[in-house]
Amino acid sequence: MSDALNKNEEELRIGVYICHCGSNIAGVIPPKEVVNFAAELPGVVRATDTLYACADSGQRLIKEDIKKYNLNRVVVSACSVRMHEPTFRAAVAEAGMNPFLMEMANIREQCTWAHGHDREGALAKAKDLTASAVSKVSFLQPLDMINVPVSKKAMVIGGGVAGISAALDLAEQNIPVVLVEKEPTIGGVMAQLNKTFPTMDCSI
Amino acid sequence: MVDAARQPLIEVKTYTEVEKVEGFVGNFKVTLREKAKYVRADRCNGCGDCAKVCPIEVPNYFEMNLAPRKAAYIPMSQSVPLIYNIDMDACIHCYKCVEACGPLEAIDFSMQDKIVEEEIGAIVVATGFSHFDPSPMEEYGYNRYPNVITAMEMERLNNSAGPTAGSLIRPSDGKKPQRLAFINCVGSRDKRFVESCSNFCCMYSIKNAVLAKQMNPSADISIYYIDIRTPSKGYEEFYDRARSMGIHFIQGRPAMITEDPESRNLFIHTEDIALGKVVEHEYDLVILNQAAIPQPDQNHMSSVLNVAQSPGGWYMEYHPKLRPMDSPTDGIFFAGACQGPKDIPASVAQGSAAAARASRILHSKSWQIEPTIANVWSDRCVSAQGKVCGICERSCPYGAIDYTQGKAAEVITAKCHGCGACVAECPHDAITQLHYTDAQILAQIRTLLANKPEEKILALRCHWCSYGGADLAGTSHFEYTANERGIKVMCSARMDADFIYEAYRLGAGAVLFSGCHPQDCHYITGQVIGAKRAKRLETIFERLNMTPGRFRVEWISAAEGDKYARVLNETQAALDAIPPADLHAEIERLRPDMAKRLTRLPNIPGVQRAMDHTEVMVNTILSREKAAP
Repeated sequence: MSDALNKNEEELRIGVYICHCGSNIAGVIPPKEVVNFAAELPGVVRATDTLYACADSGQRLIKEDIKKYNLNRVVVSACSVRMHEPTFRAAVAEAGMNPFLMEMANIREQCTWAHGHDREGALAKAKDLTASAVSKVSFLQPLDMINVPVSKKAMVIGGGVAGISAALDLAEQNIPVVLVEKEPTIGGVMAQLNKTFPTMDCSI
Repeated sequence: MVDAARQPLIEVKTYTEVEKVEGFVGNFKVTLREKAKYVRADRCNGCGDCAKVCPIEVPNYFEMNLAPRKAAYIPMSQSVPLIYNIDMDACIHCYKCVEACGPLEAIDFSMQDKIVEEEIGAIVVATGFSHFDPSPMEEYGYNRYPNVITAMEMERLNNSAGPTAGSLIRPSDGKKPQRLAFINCVGSRDKRFVESCSNFCCMYSIKNAVLAKQMNPSADISIYYIDIRTPSKGYEEFYDRARSMGIHFIQGRPAMITEDPESRNLFIHTEDIALGKVVEHEYDLVILNQAAIPQPDQNHMSSVLNVAQSPGGWYMEYHPKLRPMDSPTDGIFFAGACQGPKDIPASVAQGSAAAARASRILHSKSWQIEPTIANVWSDRCVSAQGKVCGICERSCPYGAIDYTQGKAAEVITAKCHGCGACVAECPHDAITQLHYTDAQILAQIRTLLANKPEEKILALRCHWCSYGGADLAGTSHFEYTANERGIKVMCSARMDADFIYEAYRLGAGAVLFSGCHPQDCHYITGQVIGAKRAKRLETIFERLNMTPGRFRVEWISAAEGDKYARVLNETQAALDAIPPADLHAEIERLRPDMAKRLTRLPNIPGVQRAMDHTEVMVNTILSREKAAP
């Protein structure tokens, strides 16, 4: 492993994409300024902005650029990793790049949305976060997902109406289910109700 | 209910508690406690002869304690499974039930709780909700005035299988009420108790009012409300139907209920917004629609399952729009009201949705997990050189490190969850975490602090909680200082002391060390390891006379966006309070000490090269800064 981690001798060819997210980002900072800044950073061979990086057109741009500019790293300055990291990992993978060579900079939730009161500060931060992601991708290594086996058995905790519904749907797909209920009977609150809205039929 | 019990692939385990959940997606090991029922499931035929002879009566939770049950009991006649229980807390050991059971011999006082383990691929959590107890709301007199009841109590009184066989009566005198009032939002939308809306109570009170009106068409029925919320399909029509039946809707949150001590009739005092004046109306029975609240054991279950809670205590979904059924832990899903108050149609829909999410995994032969795990540089491990160490093994929350003295420590891939505790704890820098290497993180720190570091607050955040908290601050548009510069690692356990020393060496104004609350940790004890290190660092910086406020340690959950913003603003204020010359002097004073602590750094594989490369980055940033107008 030490060899793999030390070996990073290939020339860096980083693509940087600054997302407008409509006006969510571009309404607070000028994305072009971040692009101009990023274009100068070491290893960056392509920097551009895009109206919506996550949209088909945005993803297509990244995929085409990977081929056109022979990119081996991608930085997407856009929203939270919790939102679109899977999206962009999948996009670069489709273009033949290892998905772990893509890094996002969160310039929406953690920048323009939180610093609308300080546009200059937000712009400085967006540049720094983008540069930080460029630094990180410079040292990233390709990784493969780990495959783990799956026990074909589900557990549903709670035997109320939601739990029963989940358990039945799973069992009807031929998946064994353990339905756990802490009370002596399943049914939950629903079983305590008289007639239920909107059909006004009995609850059991 | 019956369908679930009849379905051969569903094993229903009632009176059973989840004690422990270990493992990971596809490979959970769940420990269950099957509590002793003292009645053998394989022999009990549900005849109820035991209950008939049992001399002990205790309140029945199922009947909202309005009716008793025996110590030998089922909560309701349609219980599923139809197997009796002996409540050992109430039982006086008269053994009349044993006698009554006779040759069936289903009652077995020697039974004990059974601990069982299940190998599970995916988990659906559907633990439901509980009801707010209106007793603390003095103004409504619940528990003081017998004719003020809760909607759930009415539910049982109105139920043909309930304690009054479906006859809605006044608790004070058993008479049928002619004038009824329902009060909505009892405890909910109330800053003193539950701030949020309980979602289903509007429709719920309308339903109860319609039922009462159908049973007694001449009854005078009013609903007191703040707003009527009828957003789903068919709801507004139902509200219209209630109005056309003659049910009165009075907009106003009642300020007080008083009682005539003789008749035990009730007077509701309220502002009627439509009339624009304060009114008083007399009723025979008042029904409180109490707020939905999380289950009393939801905090406990949240630690057992290792999932976070939103403000208010409900389980927190991975993403409110994109992954509303997913917990942050892969393979654990939420359904129903445990994630937030929901009515029946929504709960059923979520049950199906969670099943669909879970079945993606359960139908797969294998599932992919992130490879961001730890790795040992065996040539750097001192154990291989014959020295006694084992710090990595002791710091691992999962027992994923195989340490034998004389051999380099080894990470067991399938067991490693990638918290990074061992990486940060190893005193010889012999372990790295894939995708979160020292070289990568140090390069990020150096880049973020390239320009005017003394103005910056470097914020180290864990992936699961504090990063989410920062996201939520943004989503909620809580404004905080734009001088924050964030770095994400998976867990506070990965926040190496070296990162913080390096930040100060580079002249950072302040550093925030932020992870989850201990009970929310995604890595069992990762936060504990991080917290211990943070404590140690606090002591060091105190000894070095660093101005308080320049190193801040905070535990911020993904639900605490407001806290994230507040902490950053407070840190900024602390930084602003230091005169620039003093700050500069302090940075310079501490720099040599920090550098001394970092002399090992260039020996860590990859770090020197990263530093050299980042130097170019820093110079580029600085030269651009100079060129800027």
